[in-house]
Amino acid sequence: MPRQDRRLVDQLAPVPAASSSLDPGDLPRQLPNREALNSLLQQEFPEASGQLSPIRGGRKAAEMRLSKVDPARYARSRNHLEGMVTGLSPYIRHGVLSLAEVRDAVFRRIRHRDEGGKLINELGWRDFWQRMWLELGDAIAEDQEEYKTGHPASSYSRELPQDLCDGCTGLACMDGFHEQLVTTGWLHNHARMWLAAYVVHWRRVHWRAGADWFLEHLLDGDPASNHLSWQWVASCFSHKPYFFNRDNLERYSNGRYCRACSCADRCPLEGSYEALESQLFAVSQPVRAVPARGKSKSKRKR
Amino acid sequence: MMDLTNPIVWVHEEALGPANPALQDHPKAPALFVFDQAWIGAQNISRKRLGFLYECALELPLTLRKGDVVQEVLAFAQRHGADGVVTSAPVAPRLNRYATRINRELPLWILDGDPFVELPRTPRLGRFSRYWREAEPVVWESFRG
Repeated sequence: MPRQDRRLVDQLAPVPAASSSLDPGDLPRQLPNREALNSLLQQEFPEASGQLSPIRGGRKAAEMRLSKVDPARYARSRNHLEGMVTGLSPYIRHGVLSLAEVRDAVFRRIRHRDEGGKLINELGWRDFWQRMWLELGDAIAEDQEEYKTGHPASSYSRELPQDLCDGCTGLACMDGFHEQLVTTGWLHNHARMWLAAYVVHWRRVHWRAGADWFLEHLLDGDPASNHLSWQWVASCFSHKPYFFNRDNLERYSNGRYCRACSCADRCPLEGSYEALESQLFAVSQPVRAVPARGKSKSKRKR
Repeated sequence: MMDLTNPIVWVHEEALGPANPALQDHPKAPALFVFDQAWIGAQNISRKRLGFLYECALELPLTLRKGDVVQEVLAFAQRHGADGVVTSAPVAPRLNRYATRINRELPLWILDGDPFVELPRTPRLGRFSRYWREAEPVVWESFRG
């Protein structure tokens, strides 16, 4: 762009930061509020759908979250949707906080190792996924192993059904998770697992369709954690598929979805693990009895 | 290796914090973050995610641009008369490909940040349990209860 135009831009811009070095095409650093950011993004990236998340980016927000981390309470309550989870994942994913910083913060806050074991373990998962990504590269988007569900990979739909995209499956839990995913860009890990299992096993959708959908929305979206966790649920990256039942979801969500669900009396998630297993999978051997290498329990959670 | 006398810093989306080793080592160098339009288009990245990245970037002393990452980094280097580019080690294959392409035009230094755990040898991956058996005791070595 000619120099003339550049001067014009400088004059018109209200308070450009470091205006001496502002070039045409630099995106503004001075935005009065989030509404201005929202409008700017709409103008600059018209193809990007939705609105801003209520979750703010930046180091200040990250430090605020980090200051609230309680490793012992995390360990006790993390599987509950209302549990004391950290909400740090978007900040860790983008390096706003490094894993090393979070590790040190946890160490400073505990007196005994067992208070911090669970949380350090989760940081270990993040490190593990990153190492896997370095090793696998783009192959992370492919099935790591075959499905152990008894169904051929080709039987899984490559596209998300419309009712799932629109968040109108009729299941209060799944539609609730959809709403939270699309408006906030964050979901509790347990909700991610339930939603993924529902998509893959109940709706017979290929994990990749679900994983790509998550990446559009999740602030912490990262093919390493995301794609491999979806594959873990699907059984392409584990010894058996992950699934759950209504009791499990109801317990860890304090019944908040089931209470108001129009499908409560004909819930497809309801049933014993044995019954659901024979309904969902086509394997001769019980899925849940397949011994994992190591000593994992049959009802796995992470 | 020859020192860079006047580098720029390329900050990518894996290191938008003060622990970024390139920013730490070159606090005075002009630094750039580019919204990667190829990635945004291919992955249908939603506005939520862009807003989050924007807010992260605003808290660092960065120039913000959008477009083709490699072209933007090279143009930014030229704008500042830079003799090289410094960045933090990326994990994403896409970012590593960009790094390779940048390096064809200008010297690129890639710096490692503080690791979560430093293992004496490459751990066995495959399953988390295997990895964690090796890594967990080392992670806890720095804990002083």
